[in-house]
Amino acid sequence: MQLEKFTYDNRIVRNFGIATLVWGIIGMTVGLLVAMQLFKPALNMGSQYTTFGRIRPLHTNAVIFAFVGNAIFMGVYYSLQRLLKARMFSDALSKIHFWGWQLIILSAVITLPLGFTTSHEYAELEWPIDIAITLIWVVFGINMFGTIIKRRERHLYVAIWFYIATFVTIAVLHIVNSFELPVSFMKSYYLYAGVQDALVQWWYGHNAVAFFLTTPYLGMMYYFLPKMAGRPVYSYKLSILHFWSLIFIYIWAGPHHLLYTSLPGWAQSLGVAFSIMLIAPSWGGMINGLLTLRGAWDKVREDVTLKFMVVALTAYGMATFEGPMLSLKQINGVAHFTDWIVAHVHVGALGWNGFLTFGILYWLIPRIYKTELYSKKLAGFHFWVGTLGILFYAIPMYWAGFTQGLMWKEFTAEGLLKYPNFLATTLQIIPMHVLRSIGGALYLTGVIVMTYNLAKTMLGAKLVANEAAEAMPLTKIVVDSSPADKAWHRVLERKPMKFMVLSLIIILIGGMVEMMPTFTIQSNVPTIASVKPYTALELQGRDLYIREGCINCHSQTVRPFRSETERYGEYSKAGEFVYDHPFLWGSKRTGPDLHRVGGKYSDAWHYNHLVDPTSMSPGSIMPPYPWLIEQQLDISTTASKIKAMQKLGVPYPEGYDKQANEDLKIQAAKIVAELKQNNIKVKSDREIVAIIAYLQRLGTDIKANKETIPSNQ
Amino acid sequence: MFNQIKDLAGGEIYLVTSLLMFMLFFVIVGVYLFKLSKNHIKTMSEIPFQDHKTKLYEED
Repeated sequence: MQLEKFTYDNRIVRNFGIATLVWGIIGMTVGLLVAMQLFKPALNMGSQYTTFGRIRPLHTNAVIFAFVGNAIFMGVYYSLQRLLKARMFSDALSKIHFWGWQLIILSAVITLPLGFTTSHEYAELEWPIDIAITLIWVVFGINMFGTIIKRRERHLYVAIWFYIATFVTIAVLHIVNSFELPVSFMKSYYLYAGVQDALVQWWYGHNAVAFFLTTPYLGMMYYFLPKMAGRPVYSYKLSILHFWSLIFIYIWAGPHHLLYTSLPGWAQSLGVAFSIMLIAPSWGGMINGLLTLRGAWDKVREDVTLKFMVVALTAYGMATFEGPMLSLKQINGVAHFTDWIVAHVHVGALGWNGFLTFGILYWLIPRIYKTELYSKKLAGFHFWVGTLGILFYAIPMYWAGFTQGLMWKEFTAEGLLKYPNFLATTLQIIPMHVLRSIGGALYLTGVIVMTYNLAKTMLGAKLVANEAAEAMPLTKIVVDSSPADKAWHRVLERKPMKFMVLSLIIILIGGMVEMMPTFTIQSNVPTIASVKPYTALELQGRDLYIREGCINCHSQTVRPFRSETERYGEYSKAGEFVYDHPFLWGSKRTGPDLHRVGGKYSDAWHYNHLVDPTSMSPGSIMPPYPWLIEQQLDISTTASKIKAMQKLGVPYPEGYDKQANEDLKIQAAKIVAELKQNNIKVKSDREIVAIIAYLQRLGTDIKANKETIPSNQ
Repeated sequence: MFNQIKDLAGGEIYLVTSLLMFMLFFVIVGVYLFKLSKNHIKTMSEIPFQDHKTKLYEED
């Protein structure tokens, strides 16, 4: 048998590495900007394109899919080739994957500030981009499986299992959460409505964390940590147990994002139970990582890459302990909608994803350039400034979360809300938001220093674009000659396609158990007779609410707590959301909940508040929306929107699409007339009229018709 | 919100099957781990260190 000579493609690894650095700086800079807008709204520079509601999704998408996404591909393309002793399947596919992914990110950078959004968190991109993501993901899949098939190593190392699970699960999540009916080129409505839409979205949202931010990183950890420490993983058996239990259990836990909402109680309980169980596999991974360093802790003192890895694993352990705790209903009742959740995700994002990425970059870049790191001192500085950044970020956010969560619930001795004005609780935590921005700035400083350090390293040496290697070919080597080789699990490790199908089945189980009853059993979403579809003007207003990203600061779901019914009104019922394509429950209350805001204030109040929030709520940190008065409402879309809603099952009368704009104008004229009585002059064709109509409609269906609520609600 | 499992009338089979699938999964993984040989584990965990070494034999 002849030894085969071949080369590893390092250029694609380097390119993804550079993209990681560039998008990391951009994504984190936008993050810092949105963080500062929470205490200085004027930092939106008066432009609708840089206002919090539109660029907060830009921050999350940039750091998740651009920074972490490129880092995943960098790590996968480096380790996959070496673990399989094969060059990537196709250089052309590698290039298409790289440039396709960058174009998708670029399209997000353009469309999100323009207000094109589906409103599903971390899935905001509109349908044409969703299709592009699917295509590029398939390219990545073909390239990965092609490499696996032409490999020269018979067995698939556990890191590759994680990569396969990542590929297949992200594909399923993305497709199921992108079932949208296009209305126009950049506008669509989700097929699901209300509770069902919420369940699908958080099944997606939670598992995007699991299979985009966790499993590929665990795979990378299982490859790079042993390489850095110079010793094999602590327990390979544990890695197997950890893998199967993690992918099986994670998929069930989504409903913990919807506790105390109108999601059926049994689905909530299931989500909680599986969230608690998740501690075991998550900590299995963390312990396996940390114990890999047994006997090598002296290296941690010297080697900055290991320092980053240790903090990354510790942050992973903390975040995965905290997650299950937050899913306990009692804790969730206080923590949900507050900055506590922001702190929680940033421990994971800054600590686990960020630091693991930095560790790998410092290790990998000098290796593919066959050189030394430009400055170890600067890398050490990055480590410390980054760690300080995480602390300055997380601690104030925890403080803010506890403070606000408890203030919302505090009653006086007389049984009245102690802080009936929501704004008082927002203003209380402003100093914490200032401190958090300092933390973010420190962290970003570290990333900029790293970029300089790595750029110097790259400029001072030449890339080994094609790294020579040799290995025995795999074909016909004593195939299944020994009985042990025929054991089913050994066979599985050699059959990547079967492995992928098995992973797919495992991850589908949890999703199906939760979704099937919610979608098929009528009693899970009881209908309410008085709940009617939105009028044409309200529907247009709702789409403006989505465009402006109001959902980023305002929830639309009142939980069944006395502190909430006292503050907002009747708690939310599943039946109220049956025409909501998409649902707009939100996940954070920087401002108050809006589900019962309809009829609470006058049209004039809303008008003044939208134009200048501080005029109605002194000290408010909501940005002004003057462009809503300047911009004309586009009513050319009304007919197609009504038709789309009819297709989705919303009971507008037959042919209503032709009549809708007439009704719209009548309703707009009424609002304008009422505004006029308050000395406010505005044309009836302005956007602000539609958004007022929508706000005034919110939650009013059952306000005057309580008798129509079924008894089991 | 207050729809509890009682609403799944006649759905007991569904609940029991879900539980059984859950148990079965861990039983299978347990058996799988129990049957793994030490040699195989050692070979597998050393794969990351062989990217430039040529392996002249196949593990059996």
